[in-house]
Amino acid sequence: MSRITIPIGPQHPALKEPISFLLTVEGERIVESALRIGYVHRGLERIFQDRNYVQNVHVVERVCGICSHVHTTTYCQGVEALLGLEVPPRALYIRTLLCEMERIHSHLLWLGVLAEHIGFTTLFMYTWRDREIVLDVMEELSGGRVAHAVNIIGGVRIDLDRDHAHSILARLDELERQIEVFVRIVQHERTFQARTRGVGHLSAEQVRRYCVVGPVARASGVDVDLRRDAPYAVYDRLKFRAIIAQEGDVWARTMVRSMETIESLEMCRQLLTELPEGPLAVRAPRRVPPGEVVSRCEAPRGELVYYIRSDGSDRPARVKVRTPTLTTLMTLPDQLRDVNTADVPTVLSGVDLCIACADR
Amino acid sequence: MFEVLSVGFALLVFPGFGFLFVCALAFHWIDRRVAARLQGRVGPPWFQPLADLVKLMAKEDVLPIGAHQAACAVLPMASLAAVLTAALYIPVGRYPLRAFEGDLIVVFFLLSVPALAYFLAGWMSGSVFSIVGGNRSLLQYFSYEVPFLMALVGPAILSGSWSISAIAAWQSHTVWMALVQPVGFVLALVGLIGKLKRSPFDIPKAESEISAGPLTEFSGRKLALWQLSLQIKTVVGIFLLVNIFLGGSAAGMAPFPGLHVELLEAVFFGVKAVLILLVLSVVGVLYARLRIDQLVSLGWQVLAPLALVQILAVVWIGVG
Repeated sequence: MSRITIPIGPQHPALKEPISFLLTVEGERIVESALRIGYVHRGLERIFQDRNYVQNVHVVERVCGICSHVHTTTYCQGVEALLGLEVPPRALYIRTLLCEMERIHSHLLWLGVLAEHIGFTTLFMYTWRDREIVLDVMEELSGGRVAHAVNIIGGVRIDLDRDHAHSILARLDELERQIEVFVRIVQHERTFQARTRGVGHLSAEQVRRYCVVGPVARASGVDVDLRRDAPYAVYDRLKFRAIIAQEGDVWARTMVRSMETIESLEMCRQLLTELPEGPLAVRAPRRVPPGEVVSRCEAPRGELVYYIRSDGSDRPARVKVRTPTLTTLMTLPDQLRDVNTADVPTVLSGVDLCIACADR
Repeated sequence: MFEVLSVGFALLVFPGFGFLFVCALAFHWIDRRVAARLQGRVGPPWFQPLADLVKLMAKEDVLPIGAHQAACAVLPMASLAAVLTAALYIPVGRYPLRAFEGDLIVVFFLLSVPALAYFLAGWMSGSVFSIVGGNRSLLQYFSYEVPFLMALVGPAILSGSWSISAIAAWQSHTVWMALVQPVGFVLALVGLIGKLKRSPFDIPKAESEISAGPLTEFSGRKLALWQLSLQIKTVVGIFLLVNIFLGGSAAGMAPFPGLHVELLEAVFFGVKAVLILLVLSVVGVLYARLRIDQLVSLGWQVLAPLALVQILAVVWIGVG
C-alpha cells in the first residue's frame, strides 16, 4: 500500500497551539511520526535575566495561558526561599486556593478539548459551559480569568471576606454536581469508551523511563503527586488523596483528571472554611542574596520545576523552567506508533500538551 | 403551452428545486437550532443557512495547483443534479411528479451518486486530507449502503411493489411499515445517518483529524453547491423514509369533516419529516464520533445481519 505523509500542524484544527507532526501513513495506520517544536518560543528565559525579581512575576505569569498561577507560585516560592521570607499563612491559603481552582479549570478545559477531538461536541459544550463557574470565581477574586496576578514575592495581592467565601462554596457545590455528570458520561458512554480505551497506551515502565509526571503518570499506575510527596504552600494541612488508575490509556487519564477535579473541589472547600486570619504579605527586599534554588509545584499537568540562581543583584542570573509537557512530548513518538490516523487527535489531547509552556 | 408551464412549475418551484431549496435551508436551521439548544447554546437565527450560502457564493473560488479543475467544477453539480433527480420520484403530499414500477431502486442509486462524487472530489482536489477523507467516505459507503438497501427491501416485499408511491399508498389503507418492521426502520435511520455523514458517522469529514475531508480544498461557489447538495440530500433522504416507513402523506385517520384533505395531508407529511429530522439531531448530539474501522464492523457485524433477519421475517411471516 502506498505511503502518504500527512502534516498535522503547525496550523491544524486539532491543535490549539502550534506544534508540528509529520505522520507517514499506510492506509489509516501510522508507520512513522516526526515531531517538531519551537513555534511559540518567545525567549522568556532570557527576558527573565533583563528584568528585576518583581517585574519577572508578571513575565512568569505569561509563560502559560492556562496554568499561569502555578507558574507564579513556583517562581515566588523560589525567590522567597532565596530571601528567607516567612510567608503569612493566609497568603499561602489563598495561593493554594487559586492553584486548585486553576487545576479544576485546566482539567475541565482539557476534557472539553478531548471531547471535541473525538467528535463528542455535546460534552465539549457542557464542560466549557460549566468551567465558566470556576472562571467567574477566579475573576471575582483577582480581576482576571486566566492571568490572575495574585502572587507577589512575599505573599498575595488579593483578599476575600467570609460572605464571599460562602458564595464561592455554594457555586462549588453546583459545579460538583455537573462534574459528577461528566464522570458518569466518561464511565458509561459506549462511544466515548470506544474512542478512548486502549488508545495512547503507556506502561508504568515507559512512564518511569521517560520521567513522565502528573495525571499521565498517575493514569499508568505510577503514584507520584508532589502535593503529597513534597508538600508546598499548605498542602501538608489538607486532606486529599492522589488519584491512581492502572490502565494507562486515554480513558484512564480522563478518569484520573475527572476524579482529581472532584478532589480539588473538596480541597477548595477545606481551604475556604479553614482560611486563617492575618496579614496577606510580608515586605520583600529588592536585592536577593547570592545563591541558587530549585522550586517545585504540582501544576495541573504535573511537576513544574523552576531553577533560580541569584548573583546578589536585583535581577536573577538565570531562571530555568522545566514544564511537565516536556516529559510527555518525549512519549509521543512511542504513543503514535501503529495507531489509526483517527486516533492521533485523541493521543495528542490525551497527554494534555501545553505547547506554550514547553517552548517558552 | 399550459403543459410546458405546469411541468416547468413542478420542476422549478413545487415540488422541485424551489421547494427543496427552502426545505433544505429550513431543515438545516432546525437541525442546528435543536442541537444548539440540547448543548446549552442559543443557536443561529433562522436566516443563517441562507446567509452562509449567499456569503459562500460571493467568495473567491480557488483550487490548489494539482487539483483537477474541470472535475472539481463538475462534481458538486453532478451531486446536486442526482439529488434533485431522485426527488422527482419521491412523493411529497399525495402524488409524485413521476413514478414507475422500480423507482425505489433508481432513487437508491441516484442517492449514491453524491457519495461517489464526494469520494472523487477527495481524490481530485489535490490534498492529503481530502485523499484520506475520500478513502474513508468510500469505506463508509460500503458499510452503511448494504444495510440501508436491505432495510428498504422489507417494505417493498411486503407491499409487493418497487415503487415508492405504491409503497406509501399501500400503507395508507393498512398500517405504517415502521410499526410492522421496527428493526428495518431503525436500520434505515442508521443507514441514513451514515449516508448523510452526520454525527456520529461524520467520519470522512472529521475536522479534528483531517480538516474538512474531501471538501478541504473547496471554496466559494463550489463549496456552496456541495453544501446545498448535502442539505437537499438530507431532505430527500428524510422524505424517502417518511414515504416508505411512516405512510407518506396519509394521516392514518379519516379526515375531519370540513377540513381540506390535501392540506391536512401536507401538514401530516411535514410533521413526520420534522420528527425524523429531530431524531437525527438528537442522535447527532448524543454520541462521540466512531472510528472508520468501528463503523465497518458495526455495519457488517450488526446492521447487515439484522437487516437480513428483518427481510427473512417479512418473507416468512408477512408474505408466506
